[in-house]
Amino acid sequence: MGLLKYTIYRLLQAIPVLIGISIITFVLANLAPGDPVRLMLQGQQVDEELVRAIEQRYGLDQPLHVRYWNYMTGLVQGDLGYSIHRDRPVSDLMVERAGPTLLLVVSAYVFAIVTAIPLGIIAAKRRNKPTDHVSRIVALVGVSTPSFWIGIMLIIIFAVQLGWLPSAGLVYPWQPPEAAGYDNHLQLWAATIEHLLLPMIALGTLQMATLMRVERTQMIDSLQQEYVKLARAYGVPERTILRKHAFRSAQLPIITIIGLNLSTALGGAVLIETVFAINGMGRLFIEAIQQLDYQLIMGITMVLGAIFVIGVVITDISYAYIDPRVTYGERE
Amino acid sequence: MSSEPLLRVENLKTQFFTESGTVRAVDGISFDVHEGEIVGLVGESGAGKSVASMSLLRLVDDPGEIVGGEISYRGETIFGLEEGPDGELREREEMLSESEMRERIRGREIAVIFQDPMETLNPVFTVGGQLREFIELNRDLPSDEAKAQAIDMLREVGIPDPKERYEEYPHQFSGGMRQRVLIAMALACEPNLIIADEPTTALDVTVEGQILDLVDDLQDRYDTSFIWVTHDMGVVAEICDRVNVMYLGEIVEQAPVDELFYETNHPYTNALLDSMPRPDRTVEELDPIEGVMPEAINPPSGCRFHPRCPDAREVCTRVHPEPLEVDRADGYPHRAACVKHDVFDVGYDESVPLEAGDEAETGVGETGTEANVDSDSPLEEDQASTDGGESER
Repeated sequence: MGLLKYTIYRLLQAIPVLIGISIITFVLANLAPGDPVRLMLQGQQVDEELVRAIEQRYGLDQPLHVRYWNYMTGLVQGDLGYSIHRDRPVSDLMVERAGPTLLLVVSAYVFAIVTAIPLGIIAAKRRNKPTDHVSRIVALVGVSTPSFWIGIMLIIIFAVQLGWLPSAGLVYPWQPPEAAGYDNHLQLWAATIEHLLLPMIALGTLQMATLMRVERTQMIDSLQQEYVKLARAYGVPERTILRKHAFRSAQLPIITIIGLNLSTALGGAVLIETVFAINGMGRLFIEAIQQLDYQLIMGITMVLGAIFVIGVVITDISYAYIDPRVTYGERE
Repeated sequence: MSSEPLLRVENLKTQFFTESGTVRAVDGISFDVHEGEIVGLVGESGAGKSVASMSLLRLVDDPGEIVGGEISYRGETIFGLEEGPDGELREREEMLSESEMRERIRGREIAVIFQDPMETLNPVFTVGGQLREFIELNRDLPSDEAKAQAIDMLREVGIPDPKERYEEYPHQFSGGMRQRVLIAMALACEPNLIIADEPTTALDVTVEGQILDLVDDLQDRYDTSFIWVTHDMGVVAEICDRVNVMYLGEIVEQAPVDELFYETNHPYTNALLDSMPRPDRTVEELDPIEGVMPEAINPPSGCRFHPRCPDAREVCTRVHPEPLEVDRADGYPHRAACVKHDVFDVGYDESVPLEAGDEAETGVGETGTEANVDSDSPLEEDQASTDGGESER
């Protein structure tokens, strides 16, 4: 019961956060210089009557707080708004664009975790030996290089120079193979991986570098604990100590970093989608800003905000599964 | 008595190679442990007791290393060096390999109980799971049998509701209960020797008493030998059969327990006994040992205890005594490393006693500040030995 109660409590706590996000974004989007209607009619002979008619139709002639109220009442009922520029409901656009972004972010995380944890453990095990120094340099480069630059370099090397991998676009594994021009699912998935590889590495490098350093520090700490000495004294093989005794307690901070870095990862996705011409939410977001499509801006921000908040809550909850000392709400 | 000992340690040397120099944490100690015995390893913090005991399992942390001596357990060589054809020392052929140590000795033959029960159990695994893992590993039992054994053992060490407690995590146990778990761990692996490294130091006194009783009781039943590492002479008196007193990496006195207490032959042991709180003495009457133990990185010349020794004479600064047999009791030798005994024959009696001022000169910084205090302490000591203090021994 404790855990469920805690989960609900944390999700309720997220509501004021999301309201805060909505106010700030709404004000910023609407105070930005420029006029969405004129931008939409770009270049055309501006007919003041038409502008006013459009403004009236979308409620743009009303004062800001009324428009905010209208937007929020819609949002509470599950209406994410309507893109005036694209003349489609925001929710439709989001559904269309969320898949590629999630695919990109999740694969970047998988890449980061799968590489960072073993490398961090090896670095901890061979502390202050050459392997450790190499990993330190890799991590330093990883955290200090912007992801879009890594993306561009990867394109230049692997797509342009070597021609091994495609430089743009994404093949969606959930679409029917025929529609994408492939004979069967295997071919489709192979193509997905091929397209995903470079953007995944570009986006995941920062996460990998961060996680690797944290994993190393945690493992070094863990390996010096008394319980590791005890395990050694009872003849537990070193690899079991690394994989089990020292490993598990070292993972808590890793989970925290994964949860908190979700925001950087989503932010990074905006850039990476642009570099690799992937039609995800990030790219949609940039277009929405350029077009001052304020309902679309709002919609994307709210969804990303919700994803982030839920990510943090999941992080908190997962502690309970890893560390038995963490209990929620209940006292013993 | 004369049977082959279970464990024999000869001239063991363990050193730490640090940036500021070589720390000779254990500097040539010899002792043995017979079957069914509890052997004490006593001394102040930093005397090298823990390093010595971990050396027996060849588990010295970096940058430490066993550099000399011999450890043999039931005819097997845990550590031993020999001179190679090139004149360099090398490990002897019959010395157990790292994997043999892991598979045959650690846990299986020699188990340990560590000092701090709060830190020694892994917080993210259940108590039972940890116990079961070690039993499985060291007794080759399948998982379910190991679990049954683990629960039995928890009951044996006095943990109520062992079935339920098996599933609990260390943070749900009190310090005393955790120490019982660690004792259960050691016994459950059915080793022949248990190294108990200050197992009661972190516990409060009532719990300490319970644990000592428990160990005493279990030791009778399982006939396991113990090496009991402690700084507490009270615990030694209560539990040990024979005692080794360590000072600065060396054994300075070695005797059966009663002999050590009643026929104390080394001034350091005397000082340890005098600094022990007893109901018949007030705090003012306690005689703490002067100064702080010097660093093992640069031990004093001659006898390492001489800067703090009330009986120190000039000869003590020059002659470094090895422990020699000064008496015999219960068929065991009583050894002491102090030149005031006749067997040393280095002219102690003719030598000039060291004054308090001389002691400060020997470079042990901390004693300098206490020089004023200790100028009148010899007086007190004389009094103590004429009133009651002497009759006690």
